Amino acid sequence: MKNGIGKLLMMVAVAALFISGCASTIQYGDAGSSKPVSKEFGSSDLQQIAEAMVDSMITFPPMVELTSGRRPVVSVDNVKNKSMQHIDTESITDSIRAKLIRSGKFRFIDRTTDAQAVEELKTQNDSGLVDKNKAVAFGQQFGAEFLLTSNFSEIRQKAGNTTDVYYKFTMSLKNLKTGILEWSDEKEIRKVFTRGTFGG
Amino acid sequence: MNEIQYLKSAMAAIAAVAVLGLAGCSTTAGVEATARTAWDDQGARTLEKNVVFNSGSLKGDIQIVDIKSAMVGDIMKAQATLRSKDRDTLPFQYRFDWFDAGGFEINSGAGAWKPLLLTGRETKTIQAVAPDPRAKEFKLKIREPD
Repeated sequence: MKNGIGKLLMMVAVAALFISGCASTIQYGDAGSSKPVSKEFGSSDLQQIAEAMVDSMITFPPMVELTSGRRPVVSVDNVKNKSMQHIDTESITDSIRAKLIRSGKFRFIDRTTDAQAVEELKTQNDSGLVDKNKAVAFGQQFGAEFLLTSNFSEIRQKAGNTTDVYYKFTMSLKNLKTGILEWSDEKEIRKVFTRGTFGG
Repeated sequence: MNEIQYLKSAMAAIAAVAVLGLAGCSTTAGVEATARTAWDDQGARTLEKNVVFNSGSLKGDIQIVDIKSAMVGDIMKAQATLRSKDRDTLPFQYRFDWFDAGGFEINSGAGAWKPLLLTGRETKTIQAVAPDPRAKEFKLKIREPD
């Protein structure tokens, strides 16, 4: 009897080894996968937010009218991250900006690369290396007509084994001349995490 | 009880676990619905639609009731109406791929799958907007979560 149970345990152990495999594996995954890995902010959440914001903005009737004959110049403000997580929020606005530029509806000013631009213009104008007729003069850049501002917030609730996380990303387009918000929209994401009885 | 009986029951248990493990991971191409912009004799805009079910289980779960598209300015907008055939809440994933007039994909492979939750017998619409004005054709893909 005892011998039998021992053998059974042995077999189960051997079978477990076979089923789980002993070696670590690495493989390419789908960059557009929407499989939630954890309740934390993930790549699919970022993609969903970026797509929702861009779709909403380029189809909003006053925006369609505004962009029908020209491509307004927009500047992107830093995201106000009010969540409890450290998120690379610039990555969200970068995705949104890239999609908006590719839509052919808007043009953007990037203030984060100004230091390099000033350095380059100084070299062109002051170093004596560059032909004066071909050097780019100071003071010719465009000023942004609109400012794209955003807020990111999180509400987290926990009851027993269940954690419910709600993310909200709000974005607005502010007319810098008049101060009017020309467009605004928000994207909500809810994730529910239930801790398994045997899970770690 | 003797050893052979133990052995038999253990083998059966292992086989059952293995079968479960294999059945768990079956993401297929799912449903593919293509809609192409065309023009009729009067020059009015029409949509040529084609729906292909690549998954039997998905065919039993979901139905594409309607596909339509419209132009917002010069950008194409798409909408699909889906109906759940099941009584339970089911999770799906969907994405829209966009193609230009020549049939070339725009921003090839760049789209992301989006989660979709359909409660029992629910009808839901999903929408998408083309990435740029070149888009004249779209393909909606729906699959079970990976």
